[in-house]
Amino acid sequence: MTAELTNPTAADAASRTARSKRRTATDFAAEGEPFVWALGGALAIGILMIVGFLFLVMWNGVVTFFPKTIAVVTAGNGDVFAGEPVRSEQYRPTAEALAALQPTARAKIATADGFAGRTLYRVGNYDLYGEDFRWVADHDVRRVEYPAGLMLVERLEWGPFIGTIKAVTTGGGAARPAAEIGTAAIDAAHATARERWERIHRIERGDIGAVNHWLDKERLRLRKVELADGIDSAGYRTAERRFAEREAVLKQDYDRLAAEAAALRAEDAKDTITFADIGGKEKTIALSAVVRMYAANDLGLAAKLGVYFSRWWEFLADVPREANTEGGVFPAIFGTFVMTLLLVIAVTPFGVITALYLREYAKQGRLVSIVRISVNNLAGVPSIVYGVFGLGFFAYIVGGTIDQLFYAERLPSPTFGSGGLLWSSLTLALLTVPVVIVATEEALAAVPRSMREGSFACGASKWQTIRYVVLPRAMPGIMTGVILAMARGAGEVAPLMLVGVVKLAPELPIDGFFPYIHLERSFMHLGFHIYDVGFQSRNSEAGKPMVFVTTMLLIALIAVMNASAIIVRNRLKRRFMGSQF
Amino acid sequence: MAVSELQSEKGAPEATLAKASGRKTRRSVIVIDRAVDWIINVGGISVIVAVFGIMAFLVNVVVPLFTGGSVGARVENSVPAANGNVLMSRIDEYKTLFLTVTDRGTIRAVHVPTGTTVFEDRFDFGDAVATAFGATFARDQVAFGFADGTVRFAKIDVRVEVVTPDKVPATARRLDQRDRADAGSVYSTLDARQVRKLSLAIALDAPQPIAGSQGIRALDFRVGGTVERPTRTFATVDIDGVVRLSRSETRVNLLTGATTTRVATSALPDLPRDINLVKTLITEQADQVYVAEASGTIYRFDTRDFTAPKLAEVVDLLPADLRLTAVGFLIGEQSLVIGGSDGRVEVYFRLQQAGARTSDGYALVKAHALDPHGAAVVAFDKSARTKSFATADADGNVWLRHATSDQTLLKLKRSDASTGVIEAMAIAPRDDAILIATTDDRYTLWDIAVPHPETTWAAIFGKKWYEGYPEPVFTWQSSSGTDSFEPKFSLVPLIFGTVKATVYAMLFAVPIALLAAIYTSEFVNRRTRAVVKPAMEMMASLPSVVLGFIAALILAPIVETWIAAVVWAFVVIPTGLLVGALVWQALPRSTVSALGEAPKLVVMTATVLLTVYVAAATAPAFETVFFGGDFKAWANGDIGSDAPFLMLIVFPAMFAVALRAFDAWGGANYQNVTSRLARAQAGAADAARWIVLVVTALVVSYVLAGAMIAVGFGPREGIVDTYVQRNTLIVGFAMGFAVIPIIYTIAEDALNSVPEHLRAASLACGATPWQTATAVILPAAASGVFAAIMIGMGRAVGETMIVVMAAGNTPVIEWNVFSGLRALSANIAVELPEAVKDSTLYRMLFLAALALFVMTFVVNTGAEIIRQRFRKRAAQL
Repeated sequence: MTAELTNPTAADAASRTARSKRRTATDFAAEGEPFVWALGGALAIGILMIVGFLFLVMWNGVVTFFPKTIAVVTAGNGDVFAGEPVRSEQYRPTAEALAALQPTARAKIATADGFAGRTLYRVGNYDLYGEDFRWVADHDVRRVEYPAGLMLVERLEWGPFIGTIKAVTTGGGAARPAAEIGTAAIDAAHATARERWERIHRIERGDIGAVNHWLDKERLRLRKVELADGIDSAGYRTAERRFAEREAVLKQDYDRLAAEAAALRAEDAKDTITFADIGGKEKTIALSAVVRMYAANDLGLAAKLGVYFSRWWEFLADVPREANTEGGVFPAIFGTFVMTLLLVIAVTPFGVITALYLREYAKQGRLVSIVRISVNNLAGVPSIVYGVFGLGFFAYIVGGTIDQLFYAERLPSPTFGSGGLLWSSLTLALLTVPVVIVATEEALAAVPRSMREGSFACGASKWQTIRYVVLPRAMPGIMTGVILAMARGAGEVAPLMLVGVVKLAPELPIDGFFPYIHLERSFMHLGFHIYDVGFQSRNSEAGKPMVFVTTMLLIALIAVMNASAIIVRNRLKRRFMGSQF
Repeated sequence: MAVSELQSEKGAPEATLAKASGRKTRRSVIVIDRAVDWIINVGGISVIVAVFGIMAFLVNVVVPLFTGGSVGARVENSVPAANGNVLMSRIDEYKTLFLTVTDRGTIRAVHVPTGTTVFEDRFDFGDAVATAFGATFARDQVAFGFADGTVRFAKIDVRVEVVTPDKVPATARRLDQRDRADAGSVYSTLDARQVRKLSLAIALDAPQPIAGSQGIRALDFRVGGTVERPTRTFATVDIDGVVRLSRSETRVNLLTGATTTRVATSALPDLPRDINLVKTLITEQADQVYVAEASGTIYRFDTRDFTAPKLAEVVDLLPADLRLTAVGFLIGEQSLVIGGSDGRVEVYFRLQQAGARTSDGYALVKAHALDPHGAAVVAFDKSARTKSFATADADGNVWLRHATSDQTLLKLKRSDASTGVIEAMAIAPRDDAILIATTDDRYTLWDIAVPHPETTWAAIFGKKWYEGYPEPVFTWQSSSGTDSFEPKFSLVPLIFGTVKATVYAMLFAVPIALLAAIYTSEFVNRRTRAVVKPAMEMMASLPSVVLGFIAALILAPIVETWIAAVVWAFVVIPTGLLVGALVWQALPRSTVSALGEAPKLVVMTATVLLTVYVAAATAPAFETVFFGGDFKAWANGDIGSDAPFLMLIVFPAMFAVALRAFDAWGGANYQNVTSRLARAQAGAADAARWIVLVVTALVVSYVLAGAMIAVGFGPREGIVDTYVQRNTLIVGFAMGFAVIPIIYTIAEDALNSVPEHLRAASLACGATPWQTATAVILPAAASGVFAAIMIGMGRAVGETMIVVMAAGNTPVIEWNVFSGLRALSANIAVELPEAVKDSTLYRMLFLAALALFVMTFVVNTGAEIIRQRFRKRAAQL
């Protein structure tokens, strides 16, 4: 505005300036710009926090499975090792480390204010070196090369191997050098060996597992008769005979399967592969123990993407191995899914009924408003408290009673008397019920009075009014509440640690044995998987990529749920918007 | 639509019409309506009841911690008179047998429920009568000393076997419903298949002469060594006052099975000749020997060096007119319990003391004085599992106490039918019974249950003096490797951890959340808000396990390397924003209004990013100037001075003071001057004003910091101390992610629900948005904003995974922002999976959960009440 004042004549301008200055008086104290910037800066920090966080998780999650090139590093002291560069960072060398350095390197660090760069390499070969990761300071590197032919081998045990294929033995014959056999033949032999391994696995886990299951069933049946009729009864003797017969049959099955597995194993042992690390140290393992191998520095983009997606598939569809730091998280995904489903089944009726009671049936008064405050506050009670309650009440008291009444033959090992799927979902249902109650209540309150009155005026009973007028209109709100409860439940870990989540559950909660859904079993959970791999594993660095991917998966799951809550709400809102008079 | 659906399906109109025309509503409709009515009422009420049941359940689990003990059945019987003086009494694990040993070597086992003697045998001492007696802690090995200067060791084992019913001999005579006895064994029927057989096995070793001994007055011993080469270390006091420490080592020849025993003896410094000896005691490791005299004098010998034992300490524990009537160790054999002739009961233990007038630097310290008896203490026995013990007085009162918690758990009294004095007392190995024997040859056994002797309100929330600790402390330490370890259950360090985490998290989260909420509500248009608010709320849906993982494994190492930059950022970011604001306000109005609100936010975000970069780039210089070049060493107190850091801490306050002072003294003049200037010039002038203010505030804070240090106040060893990687700073930041969105959303809702007409009126009167926000909107929404902070605090208090993962979990009580903490919630998550059901730890963790429940419930209820009041007021505006 001041700019336009420069044009007119000077005298005129002077008088007008005086006037306009009063008009446009600059009162910075009133504008409080620095304070406004403090407010805005806080918002900017908040946004940066969330954006940075999501970016960190996404970036790390997305790139984890992409095959990296393998560097061969020659260190200052002449050591040569090969490894995948994981990350680089600035650090402060200690005084002793500095003193041992070359003067030039020291001077360089001094100019960088005491900071030096270093890179973390995943060197693998844990069985040979006793470590999988190695930090190398930048000033300690003499040469870095990326030679062709270096393989990254993912194994069932000991983590990855980095080196070259030396020789392959198939069918128990003599070891033949890799060059002689050729890559294609090695891959074919590997595929055969893996297939055989899968078959062994199926027999040992699946078929023999089933035999053991039936045997266990028979044993429990016998014990049940013993508990009911006593050991001297005629009933027990009949049951005992029956048990012996069945046991003999099952034993036969078992022996047959075990023999089959043993034969396959013997065959499996004949196929081996010998690797050599960069220093020439050799290692021979069964060919079937190799999960995946690729020549890291020779891959084209398509091949890299192939490895990338095959790793994703393994991650989503396979079971974990190597103390959960490798393999897949399928059981955890499944566990999280089943638990959340049960949570919804448990939480919806109770939440909706309570809200209906509070809003439609209870006399609105002081008591109801107190109850409402309490219910609101229960949403703020720490989740761990619900976990404590779930353990003490559900698992120990309710579960213990169920065990005594219905599963006495299994005692003293608990069936429902310890943490499990059912108790976990009930605990989380309790934790999230306030969310559903509050959301449903708000939705019920938003249904106009006129509609209820209209319905009553048409002669509908109270329940008919609720069922056909109120509930459909409140549906978007209820759905939102339920989905938000799901999202909250899926992200909770602390209470689950007490009521049934385990680091490794060999059996899924749903399988082919009656009654198909095993509510008493403990299960794996994505959130707990993060905690377990990040904090309880041998080497948290080795588990980090896995944790990042799991984290991304969990956040994505919750984001999908939250987003669907919003979409459902909007869609249903639109659908019922038109029904207003 | 819904209505038409209703009409078509249920035919309700017909029903209504029917009613109108005198016909009835269809029966099914009424039945369904009634049923649903009932279901919803019952369901609704029961959910509410269930929800409150949680609290009731937690209370129910916790209550037994504070109920002391209970007494069950009581058995009283008489036995034939003993042959000689009873030296030792003992009951077995199953409370079935009551064993006594006399000085003539008679061992008798009495069936407790019936008083029948089931076993009687004798150690063959010849004609000799034992003049001294000692037993190991479990009392399955005993030693007798004789007037001829010899010592004989013996074993009294109660063997337990579980056998099938057919193994019970037919000749066994029935003692009671459950038990039968035969040939020195007792058979207890457990169920149809199992019978428990208790039998006694005794063995007496050959006499071992103690070189130079004239006759033994007192004796105690402990066993050690290995199975092949057991050793016994024993202390003997001779009639002439010579104390000897001996060690016998037995070797078993593996080929012949023959055993050879060697005894080495060394004399301790002499005692006065005519002392009236009460007892001698030797510790588990045989590193201390205590000789107690009736006047209350304790002679403590330091026998860590077997060949050169020393008299370490002579201390008189009782006033001159009193006599020492009972003395003994508690489990762990470090605490000494003494009972006096006036009924006093006190617990002493050895502590290293700087000015101790003892040869080894330790001194006996009175740690606990328990409720005194009304008469002389005549008997003492300790628990084999806890620091509990029982004392009996001359009037026949038997009190069960716990040393550390200073409480008397049970008060029992022998029946009036018995007139004798209590001569022996035994606590059952499982702490589930106390037995007393009186001089009139009767015994009484009480079944007792004392599940949680160590917990009292005072023990949980107050300082407790644990064995071996230099002073009473708050400690949480629930488990350890050794058997004699005493769990320490003080909730104070955990509550402190929770409070510390909450305070630092709130210090970080509240300013960001509130300022951001005000900005979103008052300075941003609707379109921008529609993007910004959901983005911030998205933070709330991040699972806390993810936050904890990122904080502990990614952030903590980075912050550790860049700690100086992090501290520096707290200075640089506000400064950068101030500079940005000064530049912005100097811009021509046309430019500013052309840019609009969303770009302004982008500029602010860019400013923050830029300042973060600047902070990282200039951190080393900052570190050199303020912290002597190494922040961690500085925090540790090794280098540098407190002044620069203290200056930074007091700066915000000083700056506020300077701002106020300027407004009060020069504000009006300054406004007059600037109002006459063009905008750009005024902007420059204002920038100059801010710079002057900042510099003035800096100078004042530096002077103030110097003054504070001069009077001895410094941040180090207070809020700043040794740096640990997983620390409260990290926790506070990670918790910010959990707390900021909650405070932000609720506060923004509160600000937004201030009626629009207030805002419009204020702006129409010529107030700027800043004036409107601070003078109109904020006061109107204050209670809602306050409620937001409280609800955020509730979340911080209960947050579990972040503190489990990022806080290091050390239960320390210090405000140091660079050290870890152990919060109530984390403690529950870590320890409850391992806690045995109904154990003290289990109940303590339930108490911790209850504490959390109550803390958050109180905070949230307060917030909810304030919020509802605010809503009502906002509606009235």
